[in-house]
Amino acid sequence: MVDKELLVKTAKKIVSREDVKYVVGYKQGTYGFVISPSFAYTPEDVDNFIYNPLCKKNLTVYPILEEKLPLRREEEEDKRKIGIVVKGCDSRALVQIIQEKGLTREDLVIIGIPCKGVIDLKKIEKRFPNQTEAVNVVETDNAEYILNISGAVQHIPKEELLSEVCKSCEYPNPTIYDFLIGEKIEVGEVPEYSGLKNLDETPLEDRWAYWEKHFQNCIRCYACREACPLCYCKTCMADMLEPQWIRRSVNLSENTAWNIMRAFHLAGRCISCGECESVCPVNIPLMELNKKLEKDVKEMFKYNAGLDTKEKTLFGTFNTEEPEEFIM
Amino acid sequence: MTQEQIEEFEPNIIGFLCNWCSYAGADLAGTSRVQYPPNIKIIKVMCSGRVNPMFVINALQQGADGVLISGCHPGDCHYQSGNYLARRRMGVMRSLLEQMGIEPDRVKMTWVSAAEGRKFAQVIEEVTAEIKKLGPMKQFRREQKW
Amino acid sequence: MENLVIQTEKLSEWVNEVIKKNKVFAPVKETDFSNFKIIDDYSEIDFTYLLPRVPAKKILFKQTETLFLFTPGSKGSVQTKEISDEKLVVFSLRTCDAKTFSILDPVFLGDYADPFYKSRRERSILIGLSCNKPNVNCFCTSFGDSPASSDYVDILLTDLDGKHLVEVVTERGKKFIDNYKKFFTSASKEDLDSKKKVEEQAIKGITRTMKLEGIPEKLDKMFEHPIWYENAMKCIGCGTCTFVCPTCHCFDMQDESTLREGARVRVWDYCMNPEYTHHASGHNPRPARMNRVRNRIFHKFNYYPINDNIVGCTGCGRCIDYCSVNIDVIDIINKIGEAES
Repeated sequence: MVDKELLVKTAKKIVSREDVKYVVGYKQGTYGFVISPSFAYTPEDVDNFIYNPLCKKNLTVYPILEEKLPLRREEEEDKRKIGIVVKGCDSRALVQIIQEKGLTREDLVIIGIPCKGVIDLKKIEKRFPNQTEAVNVVETDNAEYILNISGAVQHIPKEELLSEVCKSCEYPNPTIYDFLIGEKIEVGEVPEYSGLKNLDETPLEDRWAYWEKHFQNCIRCYACREACPLCYCKTCMADMLEPQWIRRSVNLSENTAWNIMRAFHLAGRCISCGECESVCPVNIPLMELNKKLEKDVKEMFKYNAGLDTKEKTLFGTFNTEEPEEFIM
Repeated sequence: MTQEQIEEFEPNIIGFLCNWCSYAGADLAGTSRVQYPPNIKIIKVMCSGRVNPMFVINALQQGADGVLISGCHPGDCHYQSGNYLARRRMGVMRSLLEQMGIEPDRVKMTWVSAAEGRKFAQVIEEVTAEIKKLGPMKQFRREQKW
Repeated sequence: MENLVIQTEKLSEWVNEVIKKNKVFAPVKETDFSNFKIIDDYSEIDFTYLLPRVPAKKILFKQTETLFLFTPGSKGSVQTKEISDEKLVVFSLRTCDAKTFSILDPVFLGDYADPFYKSRRERSILIGLSCNKPNVNCFCTSFGDSPASSDYVDILLTDLDGKHLVEVVTERGKKFIDNYKKFFTSASKEDLDSKKKVEEQAIKGITRTMKLEGIPEKLDKMFEHPIWYENAMKCIGCGTCTFVCPTCHCFDMQDESTLREGARVRVWDYCMNPEYTHHASGHNPRPARMNRVRNRIFHKFNYYPINDNIVGCTGCGRCIDYCSVNIDVIDIINKIGEAES
């Protein structure tokens, strides 16, 4: 259970600082289980901040999304910091961005929250469809969620609603933070990501049949790209016209090329927050690609993303002794 | 595929050769009149590290059945480390292709120096035989039909 | 025009008969949602999900459309793309998806008619299906429509437990249904009454309302209002809302070619992407997310009512369902209604 009062108090303190522009946190959404990001410019704005297991959204996309519009004459750039509420995975995204020099540590004031896993919105909406009223969800100490749905209290085992990525989370504690809300969580053995099970036994044809079905559905809305805190290139290769890496036509070939490109560009950078998968309007299991690369990169190059801001990037370094069984 | 089909199939292989070693190696193979299969179409790049993984994907989309990337031997790169970086990239690309159910062996790498004309011919023979066995690439070919 | 009844067990026979002579689009189950697809047999249809994920606009206004073909080079030439004359049937359209076309018509059949859309529109029969259990974000009633409205379709089916009421609405629908006379019987007054009950029940199921009164005029005075900043700060600029929107119709045109042949294709585009308004000069008239979010709302609730006298929203609720940051169009419009301009 995260102490809401402490969170609000800390956020208020940060937002009142003169060198802080605003703080991003979570607030109750407009219906059902939906949570909305909340931007607090004044201490009063912080009052609607909440934190509960439904707060899945990775807020670290926002500092990068901030537009730098051309300045008028004699106007000065607003260089104030941004306060941000992060969970374990989100903080790793920040570390990774700082490592790649997308942001500097001085740009941010980070409120860290040790996270016990968040609820998959798709799962909970399937289980309790058509909720108009806001629902309060509380996590108990014995792996249960207590839901108060229009007066009726329900106890649901955590396992049933938890996001798949959270089940194999190795870093629930923020890796960087200025303020920590709550106690750090001890991490034991974590199971392998469920999407990678039985992979070795699946023949290649079956795997392709599986992905073909998904890629055919892709509508190329690029929600996976925009929701990803690490997809922050000024011009994405998919948007380029000269050379045109991927044609704009929506068909299996181009959709596959896009999905290969997206997954590849996140190799050694993906921090497993699961945003891409949860925003996908056609439910493509993108994390199964990201997780596989994460696992292989760990095995082949002993590389972990988002742990140390001083580390070099995966594809920017090399080791002379590396697996090369595919080299003839 | 049946044995007959394998023998009949002539694969289309794109080779990205680095300017300093492999391309010179291919040149040497030519001037020394070493025979090798004509299935490979060579594109010269300045360094194997210049090969963007999207080159590989685009090649597979547009008609290649296999892609070979060839650079200088480890430690010999004209730009110090280009081939090491390429090795990492292609290693990861292969595991991604494997996860998606596309035969990873369609993407091959090799080190050929400027003095290894004979090795170059040998490598091309091996790659061609291997891609022949895999058959035509059919997963995400561009249809070019509008 | 004419009210008929078909026994539910006969429905599959009828649809299979229709498939023989027409290209039938109907919701088909994908992983855990449904999408409009061409079906070969009635059994492929899946009625579990109220709305297919990608709206019915994709049938008449395809995501990727070839406009013409060409041969590149100095001796190049241009060939027109032939338009097929297959008969299309869209089966199981909900009111909100059917209304799409009355909103797209002014765009594609206006001053310059788009031959592709026009042809498909003319050779398609829209068969509606009344909703009996609306979703949480359904709000078609806010536009004066009903979940069992027959206004935008040629034929409307309503599930009456064991049989379907078939309302033949248009002349085109009548001609179509006349080919399949043997499957239908005339409807009685009770059937019409029980349809009313289904309709009332469905209307009761719609819980959210958008207060539209005076919104188009009010928006005129609210071009610069803090509400746009508030919502745009949340927006991550993905295209989900526009791609799943039944009335968003912006497109991009691209040439795709090999050395020997090529084509100009038209693909869906989305105004949430900065590239959408990016000029060749480098200037971008909508540089910030705030401009883009505002434009989307203005287009639907101000420009459309002023130009074509219809609100550019059908109330399907998809953009609310799939927005990952809870940008809620009902909430925005209601807040605008309350705000001081």
